[in-house]
Amino acid sequence: MTPTTLAPSDDLVVALRGRASLRPSVDRGLAGGLRAWLDDGVFELVGVPSAGSIRVATRDVVGAVHAGSTEAMLRGALVAQLLCLHVAGCTPVDPFGAAAVALAASGRDDDLADLLAGLDAEDRARLAAEVAAHASILFDRLPAVPPRWSPRVGVRHQVPIAGGGVVLRGQIDLTLGEPGGSTACVCLLDVTTSALGARHEDGLTYLALLATLRCGEPPLRVAALSTADGSALVRDVDAAMLAEAVEGVLRAVGTMVTR
Amino acid sequence: MSTVRRLCAPDPCELVALLALPPTAPSLPVTRLVAVLGARLASASRTSPTRLDAFVAEFGAARFTTAFRWSARGARRPLGTGALRRLVAGTSRDLLGAAHEEVDDLCDRAQRGLARRGALGTWLAAAPAEARALCAIEAASWAWGLCHLLDLDANADRVAVGVPDAWFDVPGARTTLHGRRDATGTTAASGLLRLRDGAPGARALDGLLVDGLAAGIAGGTPTVPARVVGAWPDAGVALVVELDATAVRHAARLVVACAAVPGAGPGRRTEAVLAA
Repeated sequence: MTPTTLAPSDDLVVALRGRASLRPSVDRGLAGGLRAWLDDGVFELVGVPSAGSIRVATRDVVGAVHAGSTEAMLRGALVAQLLCLHVAGCTPVDPFGAAAVALAASGRDDDLADLLAGLDAEDRARLAAEVAAHASILFDRLPAVPPRWSPRVGVRHQVPIAGGGVVLRGQIDLTLGEPGGSTACVCLLDVTTSALGARHEDGLTYLALLATLRCGEPPLRVAALSTADGSALVRDVDAAMLAEAVEGVLRAVGTMVTR
Repeated sequence: MSTVRRLCAPDPCELVALLALPPTAPSLPVTRLVAVLGARLASASRTSPTRLDAFVAEFGAARFTTAFRWSARGARRPLGTGALRRLVAGTSRDLLGAAHEEVDDLCDRAQRGLARRGALGTWLAAAPAEARALCAIEAASWAWGLCHLLDLDANADRVAVGVPDAWFDVPGARTTLHGRRDATGTTAASGLLRLRDGAPGARALDGLLVDGLAAGIAGGTPTVPARVVGAWPDAGVALVVELDATAVRHAARLVVACAAVPGAGPGRRTEAVLAA
């Protein structure tokens, strides 16, 4: 499936949810086959790894060298908090102040919250200006999400495969739609503060795989939204895409083992 | 150990059937179990009140090294449970709205002086609006996870959500057992479900057994649940343990062993227990 790149003027939520009548039926046999493929692939690469010995994160699959600078991590964490607030129906007037309060109250990323509190005035002002710019794009591109779409924020995945020897980890910023129906309707949205590139597409396929293994059914679509320039990438999830993700995971495991 | 099953990407129908099924073996005599447990715990004679729960069984008493403070992550289970209760009662139309109402209600009670210092309501009442909004969406996300896991729309008559935790003061010992439960079957002696974060650890079954034991001996008409289902949605895994006589004895031994460890008191982790 060719990815659809959306222009900033296109409606992201409409592209993500699509028309209900055109949604494919759910293939519930796919998850088991993908899991077996991963188990076999890991066995061929490393035999039987001890429990939790290999931890694969999104950045391992997309080939990112490191987690990013401290500033980028802080900016990402603050924008993630703004997404939560926006979905909760609270669109703040002072995005930086609101995001800082939310980060401190979140109970996650305490290290980043401490780092933020320790910034000097100049760094803080620069970060506030950046966050305000990202917030403006986020609120503009992502309209209010109705509660009937069951929005879930910051859903973490920690899927054990190969008898728990390998743990696949990832986090989906926003999940919409209820699983369990006869047609696929779950949509995943990854919000990034950097400009979209090939690694984001790889990241989306990995997140689709995680969601499939976790729930037992593939999501309908995955999307990435860049709050740097408002561009978005939407992909339909199909068997080919998930197969691509399995190969990506096995490549990452192979790299980690030979390192 | 009794029968244990591991389910990958569990189907809601399967989980609901496990919660609704009656026990495969006859119910255990709870009265005698309580007497024996009380005697054993009393002999451990502690000077301070002790609270024992699944977390103590799994991770030991000294896991928490910093003082507890409320956070959106910590508040999501109590708030999510309250939101589910509102949804089931029909007082709210959707979970996010129910979570916001739950937050507002707790703040209101705290402002009227009806919440103790350190309680969730007191923290929420003093927190900025952004922190309260974050708590609401975190709680709704947690509750939605439970609804999807059990397909609550289709199974509302077979499972109960928003159920209170089990608390039991062991007679003759300064010990309280706390068993968490996020959903139960609606029939007597049916199963109970625990929703957990992350992936199951090496001693996850011990925690489930303690939750099951506490649920079995608490309440007006104590009955040991047929089984405990531990669900780890982050990992797409569920563990099911049948609470037969062997399992209950093992759970009781775990509780006694935990009580014997120095430092297994409430202290700093009292509220963390509520949050988990």
